[in-house]
Amino acid sequence: MSNVIHASNLTLAYGKGEKEVIKDANFSIKKGEFVFITGPSGSGKSTLLKSLYGQLKPSEGSLVVGGLDLANIRQGKLQELRTHMGIIFQDYKLVNEWTVSKNVVLPLMIAGYSTEVQETQARRLLKHVKLSEHADRYPLELSGGEQQRVGVARALAKNPVVILADEPTGNLDDYSSNVIWDLMENACQQLDTTVLVVTHKIPTIFSLPYRHFIIESKGVYEVH
Amino acid sequence: MKFIKNHLMFILPLMAILLGIEFYLVFERTTNTYEKGLTEGYSMLVVTKDPVELSTFQALNEHISSSEKLKRDAIVSEVAKGVNKSTSKAILDALPYFYNIGLDAYLHSSGLEEIKKDLESDPNIKKVETFGGSYNSSYKLFSFIKFTLKIFIVFMTIVSLFLIIKQMEIWKYAHKERMQVMEIFGAPMMLRSGVLFKVAFVDAFFSTLLVSAIFFYIKFYWAGQSGIDIMMENQEALFRMSDIGILFASSLLIVIIAVYSVVFSSRGVQE
Repeated sequence: MSNVIHASNLTLAYGKGEKEVIKDANFSIKKGEFVFITGPSGSGKSTLLKSLYGQLKPSEGSLVVGGLDLANIRQGKLQELRTHMGIIFQDYKLVNEWTVSKNVVLPLMIAGYSTEVQETQARRLLKHVKLSEHADRYPLELSGGEQQRVGVARALAKNPVVILADEPTGNLDDYSSNVIWDLMENACQQLDTTVLVVTHKIPTIFSLPYRHFIIESKGVYEVH
Repeated sequence: MKFIKNHLMFILPLMAILLGIEFYLVFERTTNTYEKGLTEGYSMLVVTKDPVELSTFQALNEHISSSEKLKRDAIVSEVAKGVNKSTSKAILDALPYFYNIGLDAYLHSSGLEEIKKDLESDPNIKKVETFGGSYNSSYKLFSFIKFTLKIFIVFMTIVSLFLIIKQMEIWKYAHKERMQVMEIFGAPMMLRSGVLFKVAFVDAFFSTLLVSAIFFYIKFYWAGQSGIDIMMENQEALFRMSDIGILFASSLLIVIIAVYSVVFSSRGVQE
Protein backbone atom coordinates (compact mmCIF):
# COMPACT_ATOMS: atom_id res chain seq x y z
CA MET A 1 0.00 0.00 0.00
CA SER A 2 1.30 3.47 -0.86
CA ASN A 3 2.38 5.99 1.74
CA VAL A 4 0.00 8.92 2.17
CA ILE A 5 2.37 10.61 4.62
CA HIS A 6 6.13 10.20 4.75
CA ALA A 7 8.48 12.15 7.02
CA SER A 8 12.22 11.90 6.61
CA ASN A 9 14.58 13.56 9.12
CA LEU A 10 11.79 16.02 9.75
CA THR A 11 12.58 19.00 11.95
CA LEU A 12 9.90 21.49 12.89
CA ALA A 13 10.72 24.78 14.55
CA TYR A 14 9.12 28.13 15.26
CA GLY A 15 10.80 31.44 14.51
CA LYS A 16 13.93 31.13 12.40
CA GLY A 17 14.77 27.68 13.66
CA GLU A 18 15.30 29.00 17.18
CA LYS A 19 12.66 26.89 18.92
CA GLU A 20 12.81 23.31 17.72
CA VAL A 21 9.73 21.25 18.56
CA ILE A 22 10.31 18.10 16.51
CA LYS A 23 13.78 16.93 15.49
CA ASP A 24 14.86 14.30 12.97
CA ALA A 25 11.53 12.47 12.91
CA ASN A 26 11.07 9.54 10.52
CA PHE A 27 7.73 7.87 9.95
CA SER A 28 5.36 6.74 7.24
CA ILE A 29 1.58 6.35 7.22
CA LYS A 30 -0.18 4.27 4.59
CA LYS A 31 -3.54 4.74 2.93
CA GLY A 32 -6.47 3.61 5.04
CA GLU A 33 -4.52 3.47 8.32
CA PHE A 34 -5.88 4.84 11.58
CA VAL A 35 -3.09 6.49 13.54
CA PHE A 36 -2.98 8.02 17.02
CA ILE A 37 -0.30 10.48 18.01
CA THR A 38 -0.03 11.07 21.74
CA GLY A 39 2.34 12.90 24.01
CA PRO A 40 2.41 15.26 26.95
CA SER A 41 1.16 18.84 26.66
CA GLY A 42 3.54 21.04 24.71
CA SER A 43 5.35 18.06 23.21
CA GLY A 44 4.59 19.17 19.65
CA LYS A 45 1.55 17.08 18.70
CA SER A 46 -0.43 20.00 17.31
CA THR A 47 2.71 21.41 15.69
CA LEU A 48 3.17 18.15 13.81
CA LEU A 49 -0.46 18.25 12.71
CA LYS A 50 -0.07 21.87 11.57
CA SER A 51 2.88 20.88 9.43
CA LEU A 52 0.79 18.10 7.86
CA TYR A 53 -1.74 20.58 6.48
CA GLY A 54 0.99 22.99 5.46
CA GLN A 55 0.51 25.66 8.09
CA LEU A 56 4.09 25.23 9.30
CA LYS A 57 6.90 24.45 6.88
CA PRO A 58 9.56 21.91 7.83
CA SER A 59 12.75 23.71 8.80
CA GLU A 60 14.81 20.65 7.87
CA GLY A 61 14.20 17.27 6.25
CA SER A 62 11.19 16.42 4.15
CA LEU A 63 7.52 15.88 4.76
CA VAL A 64 5.62 14.37 1.86
CA VAL A 65 1.81 14.34 1.98
CA GLY A 66 -0.16 12.93 -0.94
CA GLY A 67 3.01 12.89 -3.04
CA LEU A 68 3.81 16.58 -2.43
CA ASP A 69 6.84 17.73 -0.44
CA LEU A 70 5.53 20.34 1.97
CA ALA A 71 9.03 21.78 2.45
CA ASN A 72 8.97 23.23 -1.06
CA ILE A 73 5.32 23.44 -1.96
CA ARG A 74 3.83 26.38 -3.87
CA GLN A 75 0.74 28.13 -2.49
CA GLY A 76 -1.50 26.93 -5.32
CA LYS A 77 -0.47 23.29 -4.84
CA LEU A 78 -0.93 23.58 -1.08
CA GLN A 79 -4.48 24.88 -1.60
CA GLU A 80 -5.18 21.94 -3.92
CA LEU A 81 -3.73 19.47 -1.40
CA ARG A 82 -5.91 20.90 1.36
CA THR A 83 -9.03 20.26 -0.70
CA HIS A 84 -8.24 16.52 -0.36
CA MET A 85 -7.93 16.77 3.42
CA GLY A 86 -10.53 16.80 6.15
CA ILE A 87 -9.39 18.69 9.21
CA ILE A 88 -11.05 18.54 12.62
CA PHE A 89 -10.15 20.91 15.45
CA GLN A 90 -10.66 20.79 19.18
CA ASP A 91 -12.37 24.20 19.02
CA TYR A 92 -14.39 23.10 15.93
CA LYS A 93 -13.47 26.16 13.82
CA LEU A 94 -16.93 26.53 12.35
CA VAL A 95 -18.02 29.76 10.70
CA ASN A 96 -20.51 31.11 13.22
CA GLU A 97 -22.38 33.38 10.79
CA TRP A 98 -23.10 30.42 8.48
CA THR A 99 -25.79 27.81 9.00
CA VAL A 100 -24.82 24.28 9.94
CA SER A 101 -25.65 23.18 6.43
CA LYS A 102 -23.40 25.79 4.83
CA ASN A 103 -20.55 24.92 7.19
CA VAL A 104 -20.78 21.27 6.22
CA VAL A 105 -20.55 21.89 2.48
CA LEU A 106 -17.62 24.32 2.69
CA PRO A 107 -15.19 21.86 1.00
CA LEU A 108 -17.71 21.34 -1.81
CA MET A 109 -18.21 25.07 -2.18
CA ILE A 110 -14.43 25.52 -2.48
CA ALA A 111 -14.28 22.73 -5.07
CA GLY A 112 -16.93 24.55 -7.10
CA TYR A 113 -19.78 22.02 -6.86
CA SER A 114 -23.22 23.23 -7.89
CA THR A 115 -25.74 24.41 -5.29
CA GLU A 116 -27.91 21.34 -5.98
CA VAL A 117 -25.02 18.96 -5.28
CA GLN A 118 -24.12 20.93 -2.16
CA GLU A 119 -27.70 20.73 -0.87
CA THR A 120 -27.96 16.99 -1.54
CA GLN A 121 -24.61 16.33 0.12
CA ALA A 122 -25.49 18.52 3.10
CA ARG A 123 -28.65 16.48 3.70
CA ARG A 124 -26.72 13.19 3.39
CA LEU A 125 -23.87 14.29 5.66
CA LEU A 126 -26.13 15.77 8.32
CA LYS A 127 -28.19 12.58 8.33
CA HIS A 128 -24.93 10.64 8.74
CA VAL A 129 -23.95 12.66 11.82
CA LYS A 130 -27.55 12.71 13.08
CA LEU A 131 -28.02 16.46 12.79
CA SER A 132 -30.63 16.63 10.01
CA GLU A 133 -33.00 18.68 12.12
CA HIS A 134 -30.30 21.30 12.79
CA ALA A 135 -29.46 22.08 9.15
CA ASP A 136 -30.72 25.67 9.26
CA ARG A 137 -29.45 26.52 12.72
CA TYR A 138 -26.20 28.31 13.52
CA PRO A 139 -23.21 26.69 15.24
CA LEU A 140 -23.53 28.72 18.43
CA GLU A 141 -27.08 27.36 18.87
CA LEU A 142 -25.69 23.82 19.16
CA SER A 143 -23.96 21.96 22.00
CA GLY A 144 -20.21 21.27 21.85
CA GLY A 145 -20.78 17.65 20.82
CA GLU A 146 -23.15 18.71 18.06
CA GLN A 147 -20.72 21.36 16.83
CA GLN A 148 -17.98 18.75 16.63
CA ARG A 149 -20.29 16.45 14.65
CA VAL A 150 -20.74 19.33 12.22
CA GLY A 151 -16.93 19.54 12.11
CA VAL A 152 -16.70 15.81 11.33
CA ALA A 153 -19.39 16.08 8.65
CA ARG A 154 -17.45 18.97 7.08
CA ALA A 155 -14.25 16.91 7.17
CA LEU A 156 -16.03 14.04 5.39
CA ALA A 157 -17.81 16.21 2.82
CA LYS A 158 -15.45 15.59 -0.08
CA ASN A 159 -14.39 12.01 0.74
CA PRO A 160 -10.92 13.17 1.73
CA VAL A 161 -7.76 11.12 1.27
CA VAL A 162 -6.70 11.96 4.79
CA ILE A 163 -8.45 13.23 7.91
CA LEU A 164 -6.33 15.16 10.40
CA ALA A 165 -7.90 15.60 13.83
CA ASP A 166 -6.45 17.76 16.59
CA GLU A 167 -7.86 16.70 19.99
CA PRO A 168 -11.30 16.13 18.42
CA THR A 169 -12.90 15.09 21.70
CA GLY A 170 -10.90 17.41 23.97
CA ASN A 171 -13.92 19.51 24.87
CA LEU A 172 -16.58 16.78 24.85
CA ASP A 173 -18.26 14.49 27.37
CA ASP A 174 -17.91 10.71 27.07
CA TYR A 175 -21.12 10.19 25.11
CA SER A 176 -20.29 12.85 22.51
CA SER A 177 -16.69 11.61 22.34
CA ASN A 178 -17.84 8.07 21.53
CA VAL A 179 -20.09 9.38 18.76
CA ILE A 180 -17.13 11.24 17.22
CA TRP A 181 -14.84 8.15 17.46
CA ASP A 182 -17.51 6.04 15.79
CA LEU A 183 -17.83 8.50 12.93
CA MET A 184 -14.08 8.58 12.36
CA GLU A 185 -13.78 4.77 12.56
CA ASN A 186 -16.53 4.47 9.97
CA ALA A 187 -14.78 6.94 7.67
CA CYS A 188 -11.60 4.91 7.88
CA GLN A 189 -13.31 1.55 7.34
CA GLN A 190 -15.90 2.48 4.74
CA LEU A 191 -14.07 5.14 2.74
CA ASP A 192 -10.52 3.80 3.18
CA THR A 193 -9.54 7.23 4.42
CA THR A 194 -6.31 7.67 6.35
CA VAL A 195 -7.14 9.11 9.76
CA LEU A 196 -4.49 10.74 11.93
CA VAL A 197 -5.61 11.82 15.37
CA VAL A 198 -3.62 13.86 17.84
CA THR A 199 -4.90 13.23 21.36
CA HIS A 200 -3.91 13.12 25.00
CA LYS A 201 -5.51 9.75 25.56
CA ILE A 202 -6.50 6.91 23.25
CA PRO A 203 -10.17 5.99 23.85
CA THR A 204 -10.61 2.67 25.63
CA ILE A 205 -13.61 1.62 23.54
CA PHE A 206 -11.67 1.92 20.29
CA SER A 207 -12.27 -1.23 18.24
CA LEU A 208 -10.30 -0.63 15.05
CA PRO A 209 -6.68 -1.82 14.77
CA TYR A 210 -4.54 1.28 14.88
CA ARG A 211 -0.94 2.49 14.95
CA HIS A 212 0.27 4.61 17.80
CA PHE A 213 3.06 7.18 17.74
CA ILE A 214 4.28 9.06 20.77
CA ILE A 215 6.14 12.36 20.77
CA GLU A 216 8.78 12.63 23.45
CA SER A 217 11.88 14.80 23.77
CA LYS A 218 11.34 16.19 20.23
CA GLY A 219 11.32 12.68 18.73
CA VAL A 220 8.43 10.78 17.13
CA TYR A 221 8.46 7.09 18.13
CA GLU A 222 6.11 4.26 17.20
CA VAL A 223 4.67 2.32 20.14
CA HIS A 224 4.36 -1.42 19.49
CA MET B 1 -29.03 49.67 11.25
CA LYS B 2 -25.71 47.92 11.91
CA PHE B 3 -25.51 47.10 8.20
CA ILE B 4 -25.90 50.77 7.23
CA LYS B 5 -23.46 51.87 9.92
CA ASN B 6 -20.83 49.38 8.70
CA HIS B 7 -21.13 50.69 5.15
CA LEU B 8 -21.10 54.35 6.19
CA MET B 9 -17.96 53.80 8.24
CA PHE B 10 -16.14 53.07 4.98
CA ILE B 11 -18.15 55.18 2.55
CA LEU B 12 -17.64 58.46 4.46
CA PRO B 13 -13.82 58.45 4.63
CA LEU B 14 -13.68 57.15 1.07
CA MET B 15 -15.95 60.03 0.03
CA ALA B 16 -13.66 62.49 1.83
CA ILE B 17 -10.70 61.21 -0.19
CA LEU B 18 -12.69 61.34 -3.44
CA LEU B 19 -13.87 64.87 -2.62
CA GLY B 20 -10.22 65.81 -2.09
CA ILE B 21 -9.27 64.30 -5.46
CA GLU B 22 -12.17 66.04 -7.22
CA PHE B 23 -11.45 69.38 -5.53
CA TYR B 24 -7.86 69.05 -6.69
CA LEU B 25 -8.94 68.29 -10.27
CA VAL B 26 -11.44 71.14 -10.34
CA PHE B 27 -9.01 73.56 -8.74
CA GLU B 28 -6.25 72.64 -11.18
CA ARG B 29 -8.59 73.15 -14.13
CA THR B 30 -10.05 76.46 -12.97
CA THR B 31 -6.72 77.91 -11.84
CA ASN B 32 -5.09 76.85 -15.11
CA THR B 33 -7.67 78.96 -16.93
CA TYR B 34 -7.10 81.81 -14.50
CA GLU B 35 -3.32 81.48 -14.82
CA LYS B 36 -3.66 81.51 -18.59
CA GLY B 37 -5.65 84.72 -18.35
CA LEU B 38 -3.02 86.33 -16.13
CA THR B 39 -0.23 85.19 -18.44
CA GLU B 40 -1.99 86.46 -21.53
CA GLY B 41 -2.68 89.78 -19.86
CA TYR B 42 0.95 90.23 -18.91
CA SER B 43 3.69 91.58 -21.19
CA MET B 44 7.21 92.98 -20.92
CA LEU B 45 8.33 96.06 -22.71
CA VAL B 46 11.61 95.72 -24.61
CA VAL B 47 13.46 98.57 -26.28
CA THR B 48 15.91 97.67 -29.05
CA LYS B 49 18.28 99.59 -31.30
CA ASP B 50 17.40 97.59 -34.42
CA PRO B 51 14.30 95.58 -35.36
CA VAL B 52 14.23 92.09 -33.80
CA GLU B 53 12.36 88.96 -34.90
CA LEU B 54 10.43 86.72 -32.43
CA SER B 55 12.89 83.88 -33.04
CA THR B 56 15.73 86.09 -31.81
CA PHE B 57 13.84 86.79 -28.57
CA GLN B 58 13.03 83.09 -28.20
CA ALA B 59 16.70 82.21 -28.71
CA LEU B 60 17.49 84.41 -25.71
CA ASN B 61 14.82 82.84 -23.45
CA GLU B 62 12.50 79.88 -24.05
CA HIS B 63 9.57 81.35 -22.05
CA ILE B 64 9.00 84.09 -24.63
CA SER B 65 5.99 83.14 -26.69
CA SER B 66 5.11 86.30 -28.63
CA SER B 67 6.42 89.70 -29.57
CA GLU B 68 4.39 92.63 -30.78
CA LYS B 69 6.15 95.54 -32.39
CA LEU B 70 4.73 98.88 -31.25
CA LYS B 71 4.06 101.41 -34.01
CA ARG B 72 6.74 104.11 -33.85
CA ASP B 73 4.79 106.46 -36.15
CA ALA B 74 2.08 106.84 -33.51
CA ILE B 75 4.69 107.65 -30.85
CA VAL B 76 6.37 110.26 -33.10
CA SER B 77 3.07 111.87 -34.04
CA GLU B 78 2.28 112.23 -30.34
CA VAL B 79 5.75 113.54 -29.40
CA ALA B 80 6.42 115.72 -32.44
CA LYS B 81 3.18 117.62 -32.81
CA GLY B 82 3.58 120.74 -34.91
CA VAL B 83 7.11 119.97 -36.14
CA ASN B 84 7.86 119.80 -39.80
CA LYS B 85 8.15 116.62 -41.82
CA SER B 86 11.94 116.47 -41.98
CA THR B 87 12.30 116.97 -38.23
CA SER B 88 9.63 114.41 -37.66
CA LYS B 89 11.57 111.93 -39.86
CA ALA B 90 14.78 112.68 -37.94
CA ILE B 91 13.00 111.90 -34.65
CA LEU B 92 11.61 108.69 -36.14
CA ASP B 93 15.09 107.63 -37.31
CA ALA B 94 16.56 108.34 -33.90
CA LEU B 95 13.78 106.52 -32.05
CA PRO B 96 14.53 102.94 -30.89
CA TYR B 97 12.15 99.99 -31.51
CA PHE B 98 9.56 98.98 -28.88
CA TYR B 99 8.21 95.48 -28.36
CA ASN B 100 5.54 93.98 -26.11
CA ILE B 101 6.81 90.51 -25.14
CA GLY B 102 4.35 87.76 -24.14
CA LEU B 103 5.25 84.72 -21.99
CA ASP B 104 4.16 81.08 -22.19
CA ALA B 105 3.75 80.53 -18.43
CA TYR B 106 2.81 82.16 -15.17
CA LEU B 107 6.24 82.86 -13.65
CA HIS B 108 7.53 83.97 -10.30
CA SER B 109 9.40 87.31 -10.12
CA SER B 110 12.72 85.46 -10.11
CA GLY B 111 11.67 83.92 -13.43
CA LEU B 112 10.90 87.39 -14.79
CA GLU B 113 14.29 88.64 -13.61
CA GLU B 114 15.98 85.80 -15.40
CA ILE B 115 14.20 86.67 -18.65
CA LYS B 116 15.19 90.28 -18.19
CA LYS B 117 18.83 89.27 -17.65
CA ASP B 118 18.79 87.04 -20.74
CA LEU B 119 17.34 89.81 -22.89
CA GLU B 120 19.77 92.42 -21.59
CA SER B 121 22.69 90.16 -22.49
CA ASP B 122 21.96 91.04 -26.13
CA PRO B 123 23.80 94.28 -27.05
CA ASN B 124 20.98 95.18 -29.41
CA ILE B 125 18.54 95.43 -26.48
CA LYS B 126 18.71 98.78 -24.74
CA LYS B 127 16.12 98.38 -22.00
CA VAL B 128 13.73 95.79 -20.55
CA GLU B 129 10.79 96.75 -18.33
CA THR B 130 9.16 93.81 -16.44
CA PHE B 131 6.39 95.59 -14.44
CA GLY B 132 7.15 93.12 -11.62
CA GLY B 133 5.45 94.85 -8.65
CA SER B 134 1.74 94.23 -9.16
CA TYR B 135 2.41 91.03 -11.02
CA ASN B 136 4.39 89.64 -8.12
CA SER B 137 1.75 90.41 -5.50
CA SER B 138 -0.93 88.63 -7.64
CA TYR B 139 1.42 85.71 -8.10
CA LYS B 140 2.11 85.40 -4.36
CA LEU B 141 -1.58 85.57 -3.42
CA PHE B 142 -2.48 83.03 -6.05
CA SER B 143 0.33 80.66 -5.03
CA PHE B 144 -0.69 80.96 -1.37
CA ILE B 145 -4.32 80.04 -2.13
CA LYS B 146 -3.14 77.08 -4.20
CA PHE B 147 -0.76 75.90 -1.49
CA THR B 148 -3.39 76.25 1.27
CA LEU B 149 -5.93 74.23 -0.66
CA LYS B 150 -3.41 71.50 -1.41
CA ILE B 151 -2.44 71.29 2.26
CA PHE B 152 -6.11 71.02 3.19
CA ILE B 153 -6.65 68.23 0.66
CA VAL B 154 -3.59 66.34 1.92
CA PHE B 155 -4.72 66.74 5.53
CA MET B 156 -8.23 65.56 4.69
CA THR B 157 -6.78 62.55 2.85
CA ILE B 158 -4.54 61.61 5.79
CA VAL B 159 -7.41 61.82 8.28
CA SER B 160 -9.61 59.76 5.95
CA LEU B 161 -6.89 57.15 5.51
CA PHE B 162 -6.72 56.75 9.28
CA LEU B 163 -10.49 56.22 9.35
CA ILE B 164 -10.17 53.64 6.57
CA ILE B 165 -7.45 51.83 8.52
CA LYS B 166 -9.80 51.79 11.51
CA GLN B 167 -12.52 50.29 9.31
CA MET B 168 -10.01 47.72 8.00
CA GLU B 169 -9.47 46.58 11.60
CA ILE B 170 -13.24 46.13 11.95
CA TRP B 171 -13.31 44.17 8.70
CA LYS B 172 -10.45 42.03 9.93
CA TYR B 173 -12.29 41.32 13.16
CA ALA B 174 -15.51 40.48 11.31
CA HIS B 175 -14.06 38.37 8.49
CA LYS B 176 -10.84 36.84 9.87
CA GLU B 177 -12.40 33.69 11.32
CA ARG B 178 -14.28 32.82 8.13
CA MET B 179 -11.29 33.53 5.89
CA GLN B 180 -8.99 31.40 8.04
CA VAL B 181 -11.39 28.46 8.06
CA MET B 182 -11.75 28.72 4.29
CA GLU B 183 -7.96 28.90 3.95
CA ILE B 184 -7.54 25.69 5.97
CA PHE B 185 -9.85 23.89 3.57
CA GLY B 186 -7.92 25.15 0.54
CA ALA B 187 -10.01 28.09 -0.64
CA PRO B 188 -8.08 30.35 -3.03
CA MET B 189 -7.63 33.95 -1.95
CA MET B 190 -10.31 35.33 -4.28
CA LEU B 191 -12.93 32.96 -2.87
CA ARG B 192 -12.15 33.61 0.78
CA SER B 193 -12.02 37.37 0.28
CA GLY B 194 -15.06 37.42 -2.04
CA VAL B 195 -17.50 38.70 0.58
CA LEU B 196 -15.14 41.44 1.64
CA PHE B 197 -14.53 42.48 -1.97
CA LYS B 198 -18.27 42.63 -2.61
CA VAL B 199 -18.82 44.87 0.43
CA ALA B 200 -15.88 47.08 -0.52
CA PHE B 201 -16.87 47.37 -4.20
CA VAL B 202 -20.41 48.37 -3.25
CA ASP B 203 -18.95 51.04 -0.95
CA ALA B 204 -16.60 52.24 -3.70
CA PHE B 205 -19.50 52.48 -6.13
CA PHE B 206 -21.71 54.45 -3.74
CA SER B 207 -18.86 56.78 -2.72
CA THR B 208 -18.19 57.59 -6.38
CA LEU B 209 -21.89 58.06 -7.04
CA LEU B 210 -22.37 60.43 -4.10
CA VAL B 211 -19.28 62.54 -4.84
CA SER B 212 -20.29 62.75 -8.51
CA ALA B 213 -23.79 63.82 -7.48
CA ILE B 214 -22.37 66.56 -5.25
CA PHE B 215 -20.26 67.97 -8.08
CA PHE B 216 -23.11 67.63 -10.57
CA TYR B 217 -25.20 69.76 -8.22
CA ILE B 218 -22.38 72.29 -7.83
CA LYS B 219 -21.87 72.49 -11.59
CA PHE B 220 -25.43 72.66 -12.79
CA TYR B 221 -27.26 74.42 -9.95
CA TRP B 222 -25.05 76.07 -7.40
CA ALA B 223 -22.32 77.54 -9.62
CA GLY B 224 -24.80 79.38 -11.84
CA GLN B 225 -26.59 80.96 -8.89
CA SER B 226 -23.54 81.59 -6.70
CA GLY B 227 -22.64 84.93 -8.27
CA ILE B 228 -18.94 84.02 -7.93
CA ASP B 229 -17.20 85.09 -11.16
CA ILE B 230 -14.57 82.36 -11.23
CA MET B 231 -17.30 79.73 -10.74
CA MET B 232 -19.57 81.11 -13.42
CA GLU B 233 -16.74 81.60 -15.90
CA ASN B 234 -15.36 78.11 -15.33
CA GLN B 235 -18.62 76.20 -14.99
CA GLU B 236 -17.50 73.72 -17.63
CA ALA B 237 -14.35 72.89 -15.66
CA LEU B 238 -16.25 72.17 -12.44
CA PHE B 239 -17.09 68.58 -13.28
CA ARG B 240 -16.51 66.41 -16.32
CA MET B 241 -17.79 62.95 -17.20
CA SER B 242 -14.18 61.70 -17.27
CA ASP B 243 -13.96 62.62 -13.57
CA ILE B 244 -16.39 59.79 -12.75
CA GLY B 245 -13.85 57.36 -14.21
CA ILE B 246 -11.00 58.94 -12.24
CA LEU B 247 -13.03 58.85 -9.02
CA PHE B 248 -14.18 55.26 -9.51
CA ALA B 249 -10.66 54.11 -10.42
CA SER B 250 -9.27 55.87 -7.33
CA SER B 251 -11.89 54.36 -5.03
CA LEU B 252 -11.30 50.90 -6.52
CA LEU B 253 -7.56 51.28 -5.96
CA ILE B 254 -8.10 52.25 -2.31
CA VAL B 255 -10.59 49.40 -1.85
CA ILE B 256 -8.30 46.79 -3.43
CA ILE B 257 -5.36 47.90 -1.26
CA ALA B 258 -7.56 47.88 1.86
CA VAL B 259 -9.07 44.43 1.16
CA TYR B 260 -5.73 42.84 0.26
CA SER B 261 -4.20 44.26 3.45
CA VAL B 262 -6.98 42.68 5.50
CA VAL B 263 -6.73 39.37 3.62
CA PHE B 264 -2.96 39.13 4.00
CA SER B 265 -3.02 40.08 7.66
CA SER B 266 -5.68 37.40 8.31
CA ARG B 267 -3.65 34.51 6.92
CA GLY B 268 -2.74 31.52 9.06
CA VAL B 269 -4.70 29.61 11.65
CA GLN B 270 -5.64 31.41 14.81
CA GLU B 271 -4.59 29.48 17.94
